[in-house]
Amino acid sequence: MHIELRGISKHFGEVAANADVNLEIKAGEVLALLGENGAGKSTLMKILYGFYQGDSGEIVIDGTTVEIDTPRTAMALGIGMVFQQFNLIPALSVAENLMLAYPKSPWWQSRHRPVWSTVLENLTKLARDIDPSKLVRHLAIGEQQLVELAKVLNLNAQLVILDEPTAVLTPQESERLWALVRQLADSGRSVVLITHKFEDVEACADRVAIMRAGRLVEVADARGKTIDEMVTLMMGQHQVAANPSVKSPQKDIQKLWIKSISAKDRRAAIVDIELQLAPGEILGIAGVAGNGQRLLADAVAGLAVLDNGEVILDGEVVSRLGRQPVNPNRNSKIGYIPEQPLENGVASDLDLTTNLSLHRLVGMPFFPKKQTEQAQAQKLIDEFNVRPSDPTKLAQDLSGGNLQKLVSARELSGMPSLVVACYPSMGLDILSTRAIYEQMFKHAERGACILWISEDLDDLLQYAHRIAVLSHGKITGILPAASADRQTIGLLMTGARKTA
Amino acid sequence: MLDSSAFNISDLTVSSLRSSTPILLAILGETLTQRVGIINLGVEGQMLVGALAGFAATLSFGNPWIGLLVGALAGVLMSSLHAGLCVGLKANQIASGIAVLILGMGLTSFYGIPYVGQKIHGFHHLLSAHWQTVPILGTFVSQLTPTVIIGLIATPLVGIWLYRTRTGLIWRSVGESVQVARATGINPAFVQVQGVLIGGFFSGFAGAAMSVDYTRDWVENMTGGRGLVAVGLVIVARWNPFLALPAALLFGGSEAFYLRLQTAGVAVSPYLLATIPYVVTLLVLLVSYYLANKEGGAPQGLTAIFR
Repeated sequence: MHIELRGISKHFGEVAANADVNLEIKAGEVLALLGENGAGKSTLMKILYGFYQGDSGEIVIDGTTVEIDTPRTAMALGIGMVFQQFNLIPALSVAENLMLAYPKSPWWQSRHRPVWSTVLENLTKLARDIDPSKLVRHLAIGEQQLVELAKVLNLNAQLVILDEPTAVLTPQESERLWALVRQLADSGRSVVLITHKFEDVEACADRVAIMRAGRLVEVADARGKTIDEMVTLMMGQHQVAANPSVKSPQKDIQKLWIKSISAKDRRAAIVDIELQLAPGEILGIAGVAGNGQRLLADAVAGLAVLDNGEVILDGEVVSRLGRQPVNPNRNSKIGYIPEQPLENGVASDLDLTTNLSLHRLVGMPFFPKKQTEQAQAQKLIDEFNVRPSDPTKLAQDLSGGNLQKLVSARELSGMPSLVVACYPSMGLDILSTRAIYEQMFKHAERGACILWISEDLDDLLQYAHRIAVLSHGKITGILPAASADRQTIGLLMTGARKTA
Repeated sequence: MLDSSAFNISDLTVSSLRSSTPILLAILGETLTQRVGIINLGVEGQMLVGALAGFAATLSFGNPWIGLLVGALAGVLMSSLHAGLCVGLKANQIASGIAVLILGMGLTSFYGIPYVGQKIHGFHHLLSAHWQTVPILGTFVSQLTPTVIIGLIATPLVGIWLYRTRTGLIWRSVGESVQVARATGINPAFVQVQGVLIGGFFSGFAGAAMSVDYTRDWVENMTGGRGLVAVGLVIVARWNPFLALPAALLFGGSEAFYLRLQTAGVAVSPYLLATIPYVVTLLVLLVSYYLANKEGGAPQGLTAIFR
């Protein structure tokens, strides 16, 4: 199948997500669509998938102009897309999820019908080891992605669009996916890989199309481009900010002691976590999402009830066995950037001023001074470049990236002794990410401990002093960042090996 | 002083089954409604309307089968109000359900006045009298009524339908995630309306089963909270139609048990004894709610009500 996108434009309000994009997708090729967050890659592919309608432009498939107004039309044309957010139902089994999306699913679905083997055929080819009767909620993220891929292949898709597929995978799982992508292309299908990672491009792409600010800036043979060239094309004239520097920590003093803590809740469990941090130390926590990161962060910040152990900061217990300790100083001593700030970090129907002062509410005068609060909020908003920059706006009006900045602004504003940050750069482009990192590392320079949970191994390797790997709620290894490498960390992520 | 003949096992089983049947049917209906992600607290109101309509139809047509059918359709009519409000107009499901409940109670106590004290002929015994001579099973089988048998057949049918057909799969997926269902090309609102209406059918039928086949008379508020208990027992049954029978027997059995205690002359106030089924249900609900929190099993769509 040969697809041509001609002159595609798409506006969201005043922002041009796509401006006059011309792109060709050839049969049997792997095309990497490379760009920063917000460059318009996903939008372009969602237009091809019928999820959005372009403002102008046309889509030509094998020489005929087609009108794709819904994903169903796209599916009928043989275009399938795997989103970052999977369209799977966690409470149903793998087989049921596949059957639900199967076009010729029979009304009577006895377990003994031969139709099941047809439905499961693609999945078996992709991953022999996934048990179809297992509930999707019990699958690892990588396995869920394969189920989603099987679902798309069941529609007999000739073009498969994958949106940031390796973002949630361990290095080993990524390699398996790259091999699968190559197989699909070799069988004559086309694959579009939306990504911002160069390793994806190097590993399996035939051609690379680079987007910046809604425009297609370059289409080239993937082997003909160096990473430096691609970075320049992706970032454009923007001066790439200098990397934030980190000072090495003061050795031999223990500031934060996470003393063999265990905890569990409905979604996760952590077992016997023992960590000690020196003043100024940045400890990165690596691991595939959902292995207990959120609970660990909550536990260290004193927000989860521990089943065992305690957390001691500056000789003071901030989290202990049983009941949550009441600690009036907690908010001023611990800065906590939780995951999913919309749900966990803001009061979404209150204004930015209130949201920026949430951690100080207890100490406020009975009648807070509105002007002072607003002026302080405005200062933080400008410093962290939150858009819109109006402190009277409601938090729910902010985009994901700006919410992330808002929460970071609040939590990094005081003089915390400990910063717990979960995925602080989620949804941010390179420049905002660097800005957040700088603010975070400033506290480390001051002597605070940083517990930094991230999925971005490259950033962890570059900035953290040590990296602890979390797998199934346990620390499977702690490595000094200077001597660690991706492969070792990847192995530890799967819980395969334990190093002292 | 206890009269031991009141606790004959076969008799107790039959009377448990008979008093369980209305609530069993209501649980089945509400299970289907909740499976598509809608909670309907109006079951009680639908049952009352079904009971009155069924009773009135039986009285005027002289045929209890017509009574059951009319009762079920009256339940559908009541539930269409809930469907329209919370699927069509996206109103709050709790408020809408309570509106249906209160409306049903009000309508039936007004229009039910002329029927109080009237008597109907229910179903003839299914099997001829000579069955009673068969040892052990004889008395048991001869006392079964049509609605008991319908309830016993409907339970596995609903279960198989929900777990073994494409329609059932679609219903379950809508209850779990409207977004995913829509992405698959399903019209979630259409499915949800069906789910509410079929729940209305079952609860109307349940009400009619009570007035036409069980008590064979009409009394104001005769369902006595069974509809509300059914909503709770759906949770006990883990939204699983197959488990609806044991859940219903829990209520019906303890009801039969307290009635026997009463006839046996236990020296406790009958009002206090009458709370036994509700207390038992409450206790089991507590235990199963604890388990549910640990294991899950609730359709995800239901949590959206509280957002």
